[in-house]
Amino acid sequence: MNCRDVERSLIEHEKSGAARLPARVQKHMLTCDRCREFMRALNPSIMADASAPEILRQLEDTLTAGLRPVRPLAPARYLFAAFAVIFILIVAAGVYRLGAAGISVMSPGQSIAMLCALSASAGLLVYSLVHQMAPGSQHRISPARLPVAVIALLALLMTGLFQFQPERNFWGTGLACLRAGGPFALLAAVPFWLLLRRGAGLSPRVTGAAAGLLAGLVTTSAQEIYCPILDASHILTWHLGVALLGASIGLAAGFAAEAAGKRLRPAHR
Amino acid sequence: MAPPPSIASLDCLMACYQQADPEAPAALIGALSPALLRFFRTQDLMSREQADDLLQETWLRIHRVRHTYRPGQPVLPWVYAIARRVRVDGYRRIRRIRAHEIATEMLPESRPRFETRNSVPAFETLVAVLPEAQREVVTMLKAGGLSLEEVARATSCTVGAVKQKASRAYERLRRLLQEEKNELP
Repeated sequence: MNCRDVERSLIEHEKSGAARLPARVQKHMLTCDRCREFMRALNPSIMADASAPEILRQLEDTLTAGLRPVRPLAPARYLFAAFAVIFILIVAAGVYRLGAAGISVMSPGQSIAMLCALSASAGLLVYSLVHQMAPGSQHRISPARLPVAVIALLALLMTGLFQFQPERNFWGTGLACLRAGGPFALLAAVPFWLLLRRGAGLSPRVTGAAAGLLAGLVTTSAQEIYCPILDASHILTWHLGVALLGASIGLAAGFAAEAAGKRLRPAHR
Repeated sequence: MAPPPSIASLDCLMACYQQADPEAPAALIGALSPALLRFFRTQDLMSREQADDLLQETWLRIHRVRHTYRPGQPVLPWVYAIARRVRVDGYRRIRRIRAHEIATEMLPESRPRFETRNSVPAFETLVAVLPEAQREVVTMLKAGGLSLEEVARATSCTVGAVKQKASRAYERLRRLLQEEKNELP
């Protein structure tokens, strides 16, 4: 075993979380001054860092005063189900109100690809939001990068599935589409926010962007099912644009909350 | 000196804290504060007072969101994720104050003097040369006693990313130690 192997073993040891270093590392350290010194330097003496006793006592008093029992956050799968049910119910309400003309003019391939992509995007965003609610959760995808990736992938998919066609009344039809679908995003934002209030909300701007995008995707999904216009520029601007707008509003709200020093206060009391 | 509580007892203490056991906050504060203070002190070269402020802020935030801890889950990543956020907010606040009051008494603090412990550089001095992300990982691993997976949870990264940061940090620290040694008369 050489010094480089000791570094590797150290990382493996940290991965396992075991209390003692492997025997072969300890054996190497008996003969290697450099590794011994390296290990000594990396072992801080924690007890030298204790705060003043009065500060700790004051903290204890503050936390103990008015201490009340709290109900732990619901398991992740329940929260996931709650977000998913809200999403599906509001999209269903949108389809019930507006109709499903879009599905009937799309080819089966386009319908399946769009609905699968929108469901997968919503699922990933819900997964990320649920994990953001509980600090220290395991994130398989970076919460900050996910909204950007979702928007980029949906834009690519829409560009690939639909053709750019000249549209006579781009603004008129677009604004009508927005007026019809827009309120559903607002409708979804309220229960999403109420659910998120239960969590810790450590990074309001990241949580805000993801939640805003999810609310925007409610409208995008309803519009995809309802809107019979298959022009790529219309879909990108007026369907995906709502999701992008939702993410931007969420991000701005997060920035405002951070700037004001506010946090999404828990509603556990 | 009493030994620090085990990970399992931290879980129990946290569950008791949620059930409003008046003994639990004191036990948790006693068990976790030294490592948290070290975490703050090694980041951004904070003064003792600033680190104490952040420690208090962390405990207040922990108190406010204590319901978000799920019994059975590891406590340390939960605590460090909160502490990390408090540090970021605190760092921004300190930077803002320094930007406004640089001409008065809030002059930037000098880097800590090179301290040695039996010819070995002090932990803070040693990790101060690392980039912020690597410093954070090494401090959590070494001063906080977190495993790689726990650091990944606390920093919202993958285990692979944490492993890479730790590996680069160790390589750099070993090189630095060697250089220091060579420079000694």
